[in-house]
Amino acid sequence: MVLLSILFAVCFVLGIVYHLFEWNTGATGPLSLQLASQAVLVVGYTSLYFVLDHIYHASRSRPAKILWTILVAGSVLFAVGSVASRLGGPSVLPGLEAPYNLVGLDPETGIPFVLASIFKMNVLALTQITFAFILLLKLQDLVLVKRSKVSQRNWFAMVGLMAITGLTFFSSRPGSSPGEIQIIAMIVTVVFMLVNSFRLSWIVFLSFKEKIAAIGLMLLLGLMLFLGVGALNESPIGGLIAPGAASYLAMYSYSISYFVGLATLFGVLYSTTGFLSLLFHLPTSGEFTQRAGERATMQSLAHLVGQVFDADKLYATIASAPVEAGSAHVSWLAVLDFKSGSLTPSLVSAHRIELETVENLVDSKALFDEVVLSKTYLHLEHAPTDHRVNAKPGDGIGSLLVTPLIARNEVLGALFSAKEVIRGFEGDDIQTIGILSSQAAVAIDNARLFEQQVERERLSRELSIAREVQQKLLPQKIPALPGLSIAASSVSAQEVGGDYYDFVRLGERKLAIIIGDVSGKGTSAAFYMAEMQGVFQSVSRLAPSPCDFLNHANTALVHSLDRNVFISVIYGVLDLDKEEFVVARAGHCPIASVGQARAARYIRSKGIGLGLDRGTLFRENLEEERIALEPGDVFALYTDGVVESRDETGDEYGYDRLLIILQKHRHEDAEMIHKAILDDLAQFLNHGDYDDDMTLLIIKWHGIEIPESTPRVLETEEST
Amino acid sequence: MSNFSVGFRNNGSIQILDLRGELDAHTASELEAAIQKCQAGSSFQIIINGANLAYISSAGLGVFMAYIEEIRENGGDIKIVALQDKVFNVFDLLGFPMLFDIMSSEEEAIAKFEE
Repeated sequence: MVLLSILFAVCFVLGIVYHLFEWNTGATGPLSLQLASQAVLVVGYTSLYFVLDHIYHASRSRPAKILWTILVAGSVLFAVGSVASRLGGPSVLPGLEAPYNLVGLDPETGIPFVLASIFKMNVLALTQITFAFILLLKLQDLVLVKRSKVSQRNWFAMVGLMAITGLTFFSSRPGSSPGEIQIIAMIVTVVFMLVNSFRLSWIVFLSFKEKIAAIGLMLLLGLMLFLGVGALNESPIGGLIAPGAASYLAMYSYSISYFVGLATLFGVLYSTTGFLSLLFHLPTSGEFTQRAGERATMQSLAHLVGQVFDADKLYATIASAPVEAGSAHVSWLAVLDFKSGSLTPSLVSAHRIELETVENLVDSKALFDEVVLSKTYLHLEHAPTDHRVNAKPGDGIGSLLVTPLIARNEVLGALFSAKEVIRGFEGDDIQTIGILSSQAAVAIDNARLFEQQVERERLSRELSIAREVQQKLLPQKIPALPGLSIAASSVSAQEVGGDYYDFVRLGERKLAIIIGDVSGKGTSAAFYMAEMQGVFQSVSRLAPSPCDFLNHANTALVHSLDRNVFISVIYGVLDLDKEEFVVARAGHCPIASVGQARAARYIRSKGIGLGLDRGTLFRENLEEERIALEPGDVFALYTDGVVESRDETGDEYGYDRLLIILQKHRHEDAEMIHKAILDDLAQFLNHGDYDDDMTLLIIKWHGIEIPESTPRVLETEEST
Repeated sequence: MSNFSVGFRNNGSIQILDLRGELDAHTASELEAAIQKCQAGSSFQIIINGANLAYISSAGLGVFMAYIEEIRENGGDIKIVALQDKVFNVFDLLGFPMLFDIMSSEEEAIAKFEE
């Protein structure tokens, strides 16, 4: 770029130097020098062309701006031309033919007599050539709108031919008439000019207003080129503005002057075809505006697919789409409420019409039902005669188009578009609104999915809070009693569960223990578990015996439990002074027990689950079992999740395995036994997840105080 | 997907439901539907045949509790027969034999109904 600019500057200066030389010597140089100076000028201006090309093609502008730029450049040319050509007296000698009519130049040889002529010649040539280049480069932007390989080739061929035609005059004397070759070259160039002057695609994209403006600009451009620049010193107007300018150019470089002339001719041709074409295209502007509206509407809808946070905004945009696209006068939207699952659509948004008016005029529900069944659009050409439309002429509903919004094969709603006139909707309107509807359906569907996702996330947050709360209902610390070791854990299959275990200290050496399992799992079970916890914490201190406690608990719970919900419970009281463990079982899995010298067994006393009986059966069937504690006795309390856990083949862990492992590890302390059972269970299951809530509580009576009294870590885990 | 099914049979006015597969929280609704169907048809004498019932969870047991009161108010009953040992154990642990007639054979239950 910089090199090209420097090259041009050097060539330009060399041109001036040559002219100064001529002026100084008063004679033309040898032929070789003349030709060399011409070559220098051609090279220089060629580099100027590429410099300008580089400057202008960095950005692309709107057609009106392009035309405007040319006009401004033309005005600058006129201004500079008129000033320069009048410097130091008149330039033109009347009565002589161009280009020999210049003051201060030898008409035959072009040798300048005065310094002013050199200045005039160079300035006028520079401005004219620069303008011609700007003209070409700017028109190139218009010609090559929606370019193809062919159109691009034609353009560059034309510019190339213009240059070649100019070069054929390289050695001709200024003013000499063209020979055969030159005429042929000119004809070919003009043919390409004609081809290029019909490249007018840019007109189609203009709005009506823009076309009007472009017509004005084209007219001005044509006039300026034709009357002014085209024959700068021969036409009446051009001659007035800058007399002798064209002659100076011809004297400066005959080749370049031809190039400039051809460029100007192309400008005239192009502004003529452009002007006419614009005139013819004016009536179709409306159509094109509608297409542009459709495209813009599509785009805004497509944009909305990603902007689904505001349902009202989405609905409003969809409802206005047919009107914005120019395919309807009023439009409104009815959608189904997916949360309630209702089959009656509700009107959510209307455009250019009030929702109440719509409700009064049109039975949207009936029309909606019809498109739900047909799953295609419904076109009422003569809407007021339809029984579902209650509109009179003047209400703005002459023809009505109902399009279903279908996403994933489900009708989400319907878009209603109306025109004031009957038979208002043409095929392309229906097509456009159909496309809008499918876009809208996707947008609504996305919005719904998004909402569901948000809802799911909210629920999962709530559940994790519920889980934290429930964990707090379980004992945070296992009570330490002399001579006793206890270990416990509870795992929920879901976030929350229905398993429960707890302790209440009834005295220094007396402990109430409970384990329970609410039927079912999940949230409802968790609520009942919380209720059970309340009953245990309050009633256990008042009830003297396990049977008493369970009877009270049943009475308290039976009315609040659902009929199909029950709680199985074991309640026991460990009395270390009396060295006995008194237990009662309300439908719960029996305690597994093993002693140092006694074989493992299940303690299965009679008893019905809490909540199963509302009468006296519960009380009548409840038994207490008193177990005299002997040092080394181990008791395993658990929920059915332990014994009913199944491996891949469907086998249950079962009661027998529990007894065997208990028997095997009976010498260890509660912690170790607890771990041994869970390890054995995990080994049996061979997979990490449990399908039921699972609680395991191990109590071991050592008989003597165990020396190490490290606080036992409570194990609570979750598997999901 | 569900490995639970309910088959319907009649013995006179007695409606016999053959349970097959596993009755748990997910499949409980099918048994509910079956019992509701009996009620809708005014059959309140129901025998549940558990010969092919492989597993029952607490949620499954809940189904019987949900309807027994209403059925008994209508002069009918649900009698449970032919349970496999393992399944019976679940009923037994919870004290269901105290609340329901749980019998070894259909004939026994039919005879009881016809008393």
